[in-house]
Amino acid sequence: MSRYRRENLETQVERERTEFFAALNNLDRRSFLKVAAASCAAATAAGATFGSFQPLRFVGAQDAAGNASNAGFKVAYISDSHLYVKEKNDRFANALMRAVDDVNAMEEQPDFVFYGGDLAQLGRPEELQLGYDILKELKAPLKIMVGEHDWYYDMGEKWKSLFGEPQWSFDHKGVRFVCLMSVLEEDFWTERKMTPAERMSTVAGLDNRVQRPFQVGEASRKWLEETLADCPDDKPIVVFSHSPLYQLYKDWNFWTEDAEEVQAILSRFEKVTVIHGHTHQLLTNQIDNISFHGLLSTAWPWPYAPQGTPELTVPMNRSDPFNAMDGCGDGEFRVSAEGLVDKVYNIWNRKPILVPAAYVRDGDESQMPPRPNIPNY
Amino acid sequence: MKKLDWKSFLFGAALGVAPIATVAVVSLTSSEATAQLWGRFRSQAVVAAPGQVVVCSETSVDDGAKSENAEFVASSTQWTRGFDDSWVAEELERHPIKKIDDNKTVWNIKGSQKEGHTYGNYTEADALLWKKETERLVAEGSLIFHSADLLGSKNGVSCDMCHPDAEGTHAETYPKYQVQLGRVALLRDMSNWCLTQPCRGEAMSGDDPRMRALEAYMHAMRSGKPMKYGKH
Amino acid sequence: MKNTTLKRWRNVVAALVVGALSASSAFAQDAALKSEHGATPEPIQEAVLDKLLEGVDVCAPPKGVDEEYWASLIPEGNEITPERFALGKKLYFERRLSSDGTVSCATCHDIKRGFGDARATSEGVGDQIGNRNAPPTFNVTFLHTMFWDGRSPTVEHQAMQPIVNPIEMGMPLDPEKIIAGIKDDPEYKAMFQAAYGRDVNYPDVGNALGVFERCLVFLDNPFFRYMNGDEDAISQDAKEGWKIFNNQGRCASCHQISPSNPVGSNNKFHNIGVAAHNQDFETMAARALAALESDASEAAVDELALNSDLSELGRFIVTKNPTDIGAYRTSPLTNVGVSGPYMHDGSMETLWDVVDHYNKGGVPNRYLDGGIEPLNLTDRQVDQLVAFLFSLTDVRFADENAKEFAKQRSAAAKSRPERDVEVSTRRVLSFEKFDATAAKKGE
Repeated sequence: MSRYRRENLETQVERERTEFFAALNNLDRRSFLKVAAASCAAATAAGATFGSFQPLRFVGAQDAAGNASNAGFKVAYISDSHLYVKEKNDRFANALMRAVDDVNAMEEQPDFVFYGGDLAQLGRPEELQLGYDILKELKAPLKIMVGEHDWYYDMGEKWKSLFGEPQWSFDHKGVRFVCLMSVLEEDFWTERKMTPAERMSTVAGLDNRVQRPFQVGEASRKWLEETLADCPDDKPIVVFSHSPLYQLYKDWNFWTEDAEEVQAILSRFEKVTVIHGHTHQLLTNQIDNISFHGLLSTAWPWPYAPQGTPELTVPMNRSDPFNAMDGCGDGEFRVSAEGLVDKVYNIWNRKPILVPAAYVRDGDESQMPPRPNIPNY
Repeated sequence: MKKLDWKSFLFGAALGVAPIATVAVVSLTSSEATAQLWGRFRSQAVVAAPGQVVVCSETSVDDGAKSENAEFVASSTQWTRGFDDSWVAEELERHPIKKIDDNKTVWNIKGSQKEGHTYGNYTEADALLWKKETERLVAEGSLIFHSADLLGSKNGVSCDMCHPDAEGTHAETYPKYQVQLGRVALLRDMSNWCLTQPCRGEAMSGDDPRMRALEAYMHAMRSGKPMKYGKH
Repeated sequence: MKNTTLKRWRNVVAALVVGALSASSAFAQDAALKSEHGATPEPIQEAVLDKLLEGVDVCAPPKGVDEEYWASLIPEGNEITPERFALGKKLYFERRLSSDGTVSCATCHDIKRGFGDARATSEGVGDQIGNRNAPPTFNVTFLHTMFWDGRSPTVEHQAMQPIVNPIEMGMPLDPEKIIAGIKDDPEYKAMFQAAYGRDVNYPDVGNALGVFERCLVFLDNPFFRYMNGDEDAISQDAKEGWKIFNNQGRCASCHQISPSNPVGSNNKFHNIGVAAHNQDFETMAARALAALESDASEAAVDELALNSDLSELGRFIVTKNPTDIGAYRTSPLTNVGVSGPYMHDGSMETLWDVVDHYNKGGVPNRYLDGGIEPLNLTDRQVDQLVAFLFSLTDVRFADENAKEFAKQRSAAAKSRPERDVEVSTRRVLSFEKFDATAAKKGE
């Protein structure tokens, strides 16, 4: 068979499969189970968890016998759904429902589900309400962050009435989680006599020069410092922020104006992970002690900015516009007992991508996520 | 056929478009464009001007008047917003639109004797005029690119939501075999696909002033990228 | 002895063949003429095929297809020659390649039943029923992979598989035993020598069948005639359908039709939710896991392996990539009118069902291809799209196509099981419905 030019994966699989079924005919029960187990192991080795349908097995999460060897815990995430009301845009609402189904179908339910902001597209109360109604179907508890699309119509009024204060913090299994409101913008609207709707539309655009760069702001930076005051330096910290908390590309507001000041507050800790929304793409960075991970959007992927994408980032495959959900998705991350974060991007209709701490923090190239076969340009 | 007014006469003549009395110039919808590939229409089509196919029947453009008056529309896009053009400056300020080529290389240097007395004898003022007129079209495109309403999107999705600064539009790679369309597409074909599918709007004819403006904006924003048709 | 049976058939049907061919249709009525497993007797099929291919230079690149592109699709070392075609043709109708002498390629890929078997899933040796719909054997050169899940790379390779599949032709996986029935046949000895310069052998069985099937090109359909300038070749409905196909229907995203690749498949794999009809992936996965990891569930293991319903996982079986769960290769569309029932499991009776299925955005499941979404097509548009699909059938099958159209139309008038106006018009979102269904199941 090897003389065919296109001998490939299929041929090999067919041979394995034929042998498998041929073997079945001649086997007793015990031997059959051996063959079945071998076939299952082959599938697992190829990167899938045959039958279990968890997106990926986490590195170090299991020992040779398949037992959980690392306490750790799992957090699922959904982000950037940009909902319009259903009647205006069914696709975005449907996508968020799909993400909720994904999370609810996880065999191992996460300790909590983190929502990364921009639930609404234009901050309208009905949009936020729709998001609330969809998210309440989640089985696991929801922790939610605010994004600029949720905020600049009524300056957070409706969002707060649904979800409470935008900044919060709690301890979970030895890890301190802190959520920042990091999409503060200087007032550009009063002088221009903008209506709330105009203000919102301006902030909603990416490539406009009218809005101001995002910042955490002095008050929140102070709050962050106070909130972390009781944490020893070796306590693992996970910070949630809608904006990236580093400076990437100002023209699109992939940017936090006071990023360096925030990083300075976090600098005394040994293990800090920042999980941020807003960028709708695979994004990985490490600045000194801080690891940064972006989140996927359920609504649409952003292209990579012309400049500023961190070297550590292995970009995702260019998305297919004919598949409205391509480049979108949800995901999860596992916090190990040591407090390090392995991050999974579950891109719909694609192989999930694992970005482990070993790669981000320790620079282990062997753990590098796969390079895309259709590069961006 | 709509009576040609002075503007269309003037601009039609200036562009050298022969008056077409009995046939309509239409842009091809995707099915018709595919048909062209197959040789269908070959017997009926006459080339009127580069890039325009004159078809005797089967126009599927909704607005008949628009297609009848295509050469007028095509030559008057820059007039669409009337005499007040403060919006151009606003749009240029609002969005980081790429700078136009300054064309300094063709300015006539004072005192030098260029060949010919009209063609080739350009001044800084000429280049400024070109810039202003070109920017007007590009700015118009920017307006539409950033507005679901102007675009005719039915679900609130506008171009800039997926393509900030026209990133990812790859205008410089067309024409190319668009694998998901199964045929060679022009930039406008792909734009129309986006318009009808992700945006659930109505397709525009190729000579629709909005389509022309959109193309102008995308090409402007992709300026500096090497032109590579067929690239994937 | 099995061969004697066949010879007897030859005599019995000789006169009937003449009768069958006198009708204008390639698929003339002869309900009485059925042999094992419901197939048309091979000699009749062969005669019908000869008639279909009358005047066609089968070994030349098909008319209208780019020669360079065509050549790129033919595997090196198995170029098309008349001798190979003749050998492949003989093997196609050869029952001695099956364990009980009742099955040939032509049993499930019956020339008179649209090169398929006109049933949801096929019947092989010992009357066993498989779990996949038999795809037609024409126009296969344009496919980059074979089988619904693409687990075979070429027609030549594919053709060897059903012979050894226990529920298709049931031969043991031993090259010598496979050819035992034909290797001493002087006719075969001569034909193998002429075709490949070798004695009778198993790989060349695949090669010759590959050549034969590659030559079964049926692309002369009304739609292509219309595209090439014959204005009256198709109806106004079909013309409208072609527009919908390219635009609102989103069909062309996967079923691309072009002069180079006219069959209308992108050769990619998509989960469109058909497997989700009868299969709950999570339940199936849990069962697979239980069966494969535990000794305690032996009964489950038996059922799992022998019924092999893991096959509902589709392309996943090949790539082991979770995102390929429930994904199958985009079906080619030429002659779709005569190759029903549809989908990998033959679960859809009519093309109305197929279009209804797409119109409601498939059946939602967590692995659904994101390009599949509600289309908001009106009933009129659905009819037009179906009319277009029926215009893709080769004119040599025109009568059968018309008959099938009438049959499907009347079936569709009675029942449209896939039609869901609430979802297709997006009044109810597909995942909303999915959640509601899931909640009901959970109760």
